Amino acid sequence: MANAFVAAFEILSFGAIIVLIVLGLGIIASMMGIFNFAQGEFVLLGAYITYVAYANGLPIWAGMIAAPFLVGALGFVLEALIIRRFYAAPIVAMLGTYALGLIIRESVRGLIGGFYLTVPEPIGGSIDIGTMHISAWRFTIIVITLLVMAGCYLLLSRTSFGLRMRATLENPSLARASGISTPLMYGATFAFGSALAGLAGALIVPVFSLYADLGIRFLIQGFVAVMVGGVGSFIGPVAGAGVIGTLSAALPWLMAPVVADVLVFVLAIAFIKLRPQGLIAGKGV
Amino acid sequence: MLDRQLSRRRFLSNFAFASGAVATGVGSWVIPAPWANAAEAPIKVGIATDLTGPIAYAGNADANVAKMVIKEINASGGLLGRPLELYIEDTASNESVAVGNVRKLIQRDKVDMVLGGITSSMRNAIKDPIVARGKTLYIYPQLYEGKECTPYLFCTGPTPAQQCDEFIPWLIKNGGKKFALPSANYVWPHTLNVYARKVIEANGGEVVFEEYYPLDQIDFSSTVNRIISNKVDVVFNTVIPPGVGPFFKQLYEAGFLKNGGRLACVYYDENTLNINQANEIEGLASCLDYFKVLTKENPFDAKIQAAYEKDFPGNFLFAAGSAATGTYRGLKLWEAAVKEAGKIDRESVAAALDHAKIAEGPGGPAEMVPGKRHCKMKMYTAVAKGGNYEIVARSEGLVDPKEC
Repeated sequence: MANAFVAAFEILSFGAIIVLIVLGLGIIASMMGIFNFAQGEFVLLGAYITYVAYANGLPIWAGMIAAPFLVGALGFVLEALIIRRFYAAPIVAMLGTYALGLIIRESVRGLIGGFYLTVPEPIGGSIDIGTMHISAWRFTIIVITLLVMAGCYLLLSRTSFGLRMRATLENPSLARASGISTPLMYGATFAFGSALAGLAGALIVPVFSLYADLGIRFLIQGFVAVMVGGVGSFIGPVAGAGVIGTLSAALPWLMAPVVADVLVFVLAIAFIKLRPQGLIAGKGV
Repeated sequence: MLDRQLSRRRFLSNFAFASGAVATGVGSWVIPAPWANAAEAPIKVGIATDLTGPIAYAGNADANVAKMVIKEINASGGLLGRPLELYIEDTASNESVAVGNVRKLIQRDKVDMVLGGITSSMRNAIKDPIVARGKTLYIYPQLYEGKECTPYLFCTGPTPAQQCDEFIPWLIKNGGKKFALPSANYVWPHTLNVYARKVIEANGGEVVFEEYYPLDQIDFSSTVNRIISNKVDVVFNTVIPPGVGPFFKQLYEAGFLKNGGRLACVYYDENTLNINQANEIEGLASCLDYFKVLTKENPFDAKIQAAYEKDFPGNFLFAAGSAATGTYRGLKLWEAAVKEAGKIDRESVAAALDHAKIAEGPGGPAEMVPGKRHCKMKMYTAVAKGGNYEIVARSEGLVDPKEC
């Protein structure tokens, strides 16, 4: 019983981490129609900013709060300078964002000297329930993920900003005719997606420590999650991330981890073959 | 105008002299001999190591050690009256790039010896271009899984026997009998575990758990759960970064250390201490040929450590796990062999290197085991305490590599 509880918690916590990472990726893919291959590196930048704050003696919380704003601002600038030129050609956008990611990744690798660096948790240690120990920080991540998910949902479905964003996605020319500045909306959406990646990086760096390949590690899982969940809505990729994250963490409890690693992708491919539109099809929130 | 041209030329020549290293293509560096000998050309030493890529911190440390040793040999008059010239190529953590760059060392630069390669896959990729097609001597400096018995290939890092024979009995005494072997899924852990299991069972311990993970796995909840529920005493870890950090953290959070568990990891050195918070790996035991803490008791270690830190302050540490000590040992053994042989052709140097000895090296003396092309050395068991190592056990004399 205790064992099952620990297992459930651990699986849930890894699922939450994947959801957190995929949120920004999903919003950019669904709302803008481009796959941002630099998303992993935005996660890395969030982690790096948190590390820099810690290394300079600032409280870790400060770094974690600054990370989404700084990465979001960078996303806004990059959208205006580079990404904007790719909207007409989504395939080229993949290559372009991949190149962007490569530049960020290798720059960070240079800055941290190729090392693996630890960043302590703001809330460390474990929560003890009887003989069971669960990680206090992983628990915090689950809570924050739920809050961020709810916040994003409300932002997109209940605010006028969210309405404009969805209008821009569904019919750009009609949105422009109605007085919505679509370039500004694209910039804001990209910045928002980047900020979520920065937040994810800041929150996961105490769990996985900082290293240059931190972001790229999640890129493939993230894309599989978006494909499984379905492009076009906010809920789709989030649902996909929940499924992929939970599966990746759950399967090693049942079989050899090397097999589990492959099986997640086999299952995902089979699912996409049977249901190409993904778990949740169609546009909307 | 004339003045300016002259001064610019002088500036350029000064600059080229001062910088010492001259780039001769992407990823290639030459440190020219400090003096020219009319009769004979310099002896050429080739270093092929990972200056870029994920393990660049190790490769750069190795290149630094080579620069330090070559400088020291040149300062004391060179070898056989000839100066040494250092050729450094980047293997870039990429085997196909590496083979091309190693060919440059062999065919373009015509080096007399190549030292380098850190991972086993890199050694396997570059040994043929060096030893077979290149007909050149090759020294491999990293700790590894053993079983490399290619002629003209000499290994100067620790083998499984050296890392397990003394270490595992110590772990059983200071940890317990129940071992778990969580491992990354590649050749080093697979081969090391076969040997470790034999030593564990020969000493009355048991392996309750041996499992392999994809190299990029970073969530170990099911592993940690199995370790806790099997009441494992010693986790003999061969999971590598990036997985090892989260793995140790999850073990800590699950109360493994609190319940008296012992972490053991034979590649852990000063570089890897920073992957986790100090309290998460308190008591972690490692067994290597050198730890920086030895500088407190061993004057020779203090001397080379200080010389290294003076020349190369910064992040690239002189540490055993990144092959820096094996590089030092390899170059000094080769120096001894060249002196004995009195010439530099491959046959003569290999014959002398076969039984070469050095009285002083990182962690103590070292000697090649005749006919085995592996190196006897002293081994130390150290335990992490508050973010530093403490030596808790050491080998009586030189430990046999038991290879080939």
